[in-house]
Amino acid sequence: MLRASLRGLLSRKLRLTLAVVAIVLGTGFLSGAFVLTDTLGARFSKLFESINQNVAVQITPTDESTEDGEPPRLTQQQVERLRVDGAAAVQGDVSAEGVVPFDMRDGDPVTTSGTPQIGGGVTGDDPFSLVGVAEGRWPTRAGEVAISRFTAEQAHAAVGDRLKIYLPRVNEAREFSLVGVVTYSGDRDSLAGETLVLFQEAEAQQIFYGRTGVYSGAFVAADEGVSPEQLRDRVAPLLPAEFEAMTGEEANEEQANAVNEGLSQLSTYFFGPFAIVAVLVGIFLIFNTFNIVVAQRARELALMRAMGASWTQVAGSVLVEAVLVGVVGATLGLLAGIGLGYAGSALLTGLLGVDLPGAGLTVGVLPVVLAYTVGILVTVFSAFVPAVKASSVPPLAAMREVARPDKPLRTLSIVGAALAVPGVALVGLGLTGVGDLTLPALLLGVGMVFLGVALLSPLLTRPLAGLIGRLVGWGTSGKLGVRNALRNPRRTAVTAAALMIGVTLVSAASVVGASFKTTIDQEVNSSIGADVIVQTNQTQAAPTGETGFSAAAMQEVREVSGVERALSLFVTVDAEIEGRANQSLGFGALDQDFPVVRDMFGMTPVEGDLSALGEGEFVTDENTADGRGWEVGDQVAIALSKGGERQYRLVGTFESTPILTGTVFLPPSAVQNFAGPLASQGYVDLAEGADAAAVTARVEQIMSDFPLVTVGDRSSLVEQFNSFVDIALAIVVVLLGLAILVALLGILNTLLLSIYERTRELGMLRAVGLSRFGVMRMVGTESVVMAVFGCLLGIAVGVGLGAALSAALIDIDFLSTISVPWLSLAGFVLLAALAGVAAALWPAWRAARLNVLDAIAYE
Amino acid sequence: MDATGVAARAADLWKVYGSGEAQVVALRGVNVELERGHFTAIMGPSGSGKSTLMHCLAGLDSVTRGQVYIGDTQVTGLGDRGLTKLRRDKVGFVFQQFNLLPTLTAAENILLPLSIAGRKPDQQWYDTVIDTVNLRDRLGHRPTQLSGGQQQRVACARALVARPEVVFADEPTGNLDSRSGAEVLSFLARSVREYGQTIVMVTHDPNAASHADRVIFLADGQIVDEMRDPTAEAVLDRLKGLDTPAAAVPPVGSER
Repeated sequence: MLRASLRGLLSRKLRLTLAVVAIVLGTGFLSGAFVLTDTLGARFSKLFESINQNVAVQITPTDESTEDGEPPRLTQQQVERLRVDGAAAVQGDVSAEGVVPFDMRDGDPVTTSGTPQIGGGVTGDDPFSLVGVAEGRWPTRAGEVAISRFTAEQAHAAVGDRLKIYLPRVNEAREFSLVGVVTYSGDRDSLAGETLVLFQEAEAQQIFYGRTGVYSGAFVAADEGVSPEQLRDRVAPLLPAEFEAMTGEEANEEQANAVNEGLSQLSTYFFGPFAIVAVLVGIFLIFNTFNIVVAQRARELALMRAMGASWTQVAGSVLVEAVLVGVVGATLGLLAGIGLGYAGSALLTGLLGVDLPGAGLTVGVLPVVLAYTVGILVTVFSAFVPAVKASSVPPLAAMREVARPDKPLRTLSIVGAALAVPGVALVGLGLTGVGDLTLPALLLGVGMVFLGVALLSPLLTRPLAGLIGRLVGWGTSGKLGVRNALRNPRRTAVTAAALMIGVTLVSAASVVGASFKTTIDQEVNSSIGADVIVQTNQTQAAPTGETGFSAAAMQEVREVSGVERALSLFVTVDAEIEGRANQSLGFGALDQDFPVVRDMFGMTPVEGDLSALGEGEFVTDENTADGRGWEVGDQVAIALSKGGERQYRLVGTFESTPILTGTVFLPPSAVQNFAGPLASQGYVDLAEGADAAAVTARVEQIMSDFPLVTVGDRSSLVEQFNSFVDIALAIVVVLLGLAILVALLGILNTLLLSIYERTRELGMLRAVGLSRFGVMRMVGTESVVMAVFGCLLGIAVGVGLGAALSAALIDIDFLSTISVPWLSLAGFVLLAALAGVAAALWPAWRAARLNVLDAIAYE
Repeated sequence: MDATGVAARAADLWKVYGSGEAQVVALRGVNVELERGHFTAIMGPSGSGKSTLMHCLAGLDSVTRGQVYIGDTQVTGLGDRGLTKLRRDKVGFVFQQFNLLPTLTAAENILLPLSIAGRKPDQQWYDTVIDTVNLRDRLGHRPTQLSGGQQQRVACARALVARPEVVFADEPTGNLDSRSGAEVLSFLARSVREYGQTIVMVTHDPNAASHADRVIFLADGQIVDEMRDPTAEAVLDRLKGLDTPAAAVPPVGSER
């Protein structure tokens, strides 16, 4: 008897451990996100400190002055005026980003993964001693450059080489003599994996600003005994109105804040879904665990009741256990999160090649508070129903085996249906987009459908899991396993529901993703009339016209023999419409007459006139016009990056298609108001019988001077679209992995309980001749049935959800077809089955090792 | 079947639990032969080792020393695989309780050992067994829908349907009311008399033992006596002698 209860306690501890694991995963991802953000933030702060070393005061243009068009410049005299009393050194800032050297070996542009590619002007030694010459000398005349050692390594260049460098603003590549290699103070090759090209100052000014003798800002160093604040106050009055002075420290803070904002978004979007999935799945796991624990302790609880404990005391004792599990889980989760954050910070910088200075580990208060709050709340919430159930154990149960048959599933199923049916209706409502409640209705609907199906799943267990069982339950042991899975529909359903969550998410995402891919493939091939397509990989930000290829390059393409027509598309998203910042529209301008554009993109006119696009006119797709309430003939005020606001008149609309949606086409002259003059896409139509390969090769050659620009056929365009989908799906698949992991623990949990409960049965089966392997197969089959059942429920809900979402996207012409990726879904089922096998390994081993005699012996 | 042969035997069987101070000797050199086609009952006070003897004979428990044979097969020394095969082919069990799988119908429970072994039932024999236990109208029921006596009859049918060398029954009537118990016992006795089945039963109930052909009395890990064609009264008398502390009755020594 003692042995039995000890064993019970032990297995309970084990089971609680599984609940703890669920909490650890959830809180781990949650706190990990914050630790990662803080740690990376600290490293960035350190980076800015080292960049701004010795800088007491920094002069930059004010925010307002850079808002509209060309930023203001400081003249030589204005910089000289800053040499006030207490200023040890003054240096005008000549710098630009997007200066891209080409690799000496293969001729490809040297690119970084997100870190800037900086160009600067120098006049000799750096008065702030941030950079110093390590080899060769400073550039002293036009046509000479020095580069950082990191850049030299990347470009495989050495002093004396002729280095090709792409220059922004002039938008062309030129060759320079490499006269020096520089390093940062402390003999560092780079600050954070950026490239650096230094020109003679006057040449840099000519290239970056279009004239010599001007600066974009200035740096001032302080004499000893003069504080940065004093110096700032001394130089501030000397500045023109468009400039402001701040101390080096203030500058650091401003830069660090901007970076931190981006970082926290990154980690929220990256870790957020993981934390949510882990917590959601964890709720099911914990719920099940406590149910099991309560069931096992029924006798003990009944004894407490018989001895006069009130039901609140009994429920309380269960909840105390829950709080304990929550605290332990949250503590371990927090530790895991700290590890995750630290590893993530190392991994991220390693992956991106961003070489940030180390700054130790930063753990704020927020992740700690959050981990404990979420950990304890989730556990107590999940344990609540089991606790109430525990309190309803009749005292009589202490005296004898009280048969507690499964409650009928009717109430549960009615509640489930009552949730699922209106849920479906709500999803429908949300998708048709009635009123402003679209998103809330959709989310609420999805939640209700999900819960409803979860509640209905016990009812589905017998028919659906039975069907699965018929497929996987081979032989006597297999059939016994299937019977066991069907034995307690509630338990099987709750276990399966944990898996269902993850699979629902992933199936829905897969359906939308597959629909998107199919749509793009169809649309590009049916509507785009070009044979050769030039694209710019927008790796860093939305297009503004600052990356891409020049109009001159496209002119060259037109002259290639075999080219019938060629079209450049200039794109920007940097605009204000009627005084409000643009959220979702893309603004395109084209260098050809509009009929050519119309043919090339296969546009179908809806209203107005698409035969010409004159000054001050624009066209857009039907949905955009409808959505914004624009009628043909309306005047719309649009302010682009430069040149202020001006009125454009809508002259025509065309049918929305998935690739022509949310786009406003402006006349060619609008390009001068874009932030940069570069086209981001080019469409080349070949003449009848032209050699496509030869033309493509020639176009490639012409475009080779422009970093980030690639040349390909239509399928390359499809691939580029698809690559976004693939990245999103890859993240979703990792999510699935996590969900499966947690669900696996749930299955493990359920199996352990079943084995514990059925010890005597197992002994009897062994006594009548079932082999160890047979026992393992029996347990494995039960596990696989549960896993596949959960997976199929998830696929059913997920595909329905994905199809509904796709249908909504078709409604707004974002998609044109629904495609269900059956192969991937079949893969999920297979994965679930394998997970089922994996989850069963240990319980099956335990079951097989049971001593036959111990199992059948009764106390 | 050779009705005069030996279905199972134990030679110099020792079973010791634990070690050192806590050492308990459950069986001390037991020698016994169980005749084929006989119904043998093993009796003795609690702690006499009667259950241990049966478990060792059935290959459910390992022995410390000595040999056990079932038919020609030496049970002692068999690995798990061998034991599994032995249970499939040569042994049937009836336990006191927890005898049936609740997920299976009565018929499925009866056929379970054959199904596990992957053998086809002998339809004629199956029908004979079903009719003998009088369960034909209950075959589609689940154990929870059957009375205790019916459940135990299902268990007996299950043990018999594979025609094992020996059926081991561990207190088969322990959980039953006297009427149901008598039904089960008479059925077991019939299977011995009419079909030549060998049955070994552990029991503490003299009435149950009176159904057997032979009763073996165990005390303190040794066989102290045996009785042929017992009656309930004779068994009870003999047991009363054994129930007094072991010292009062000097061990007679096991028969050779």
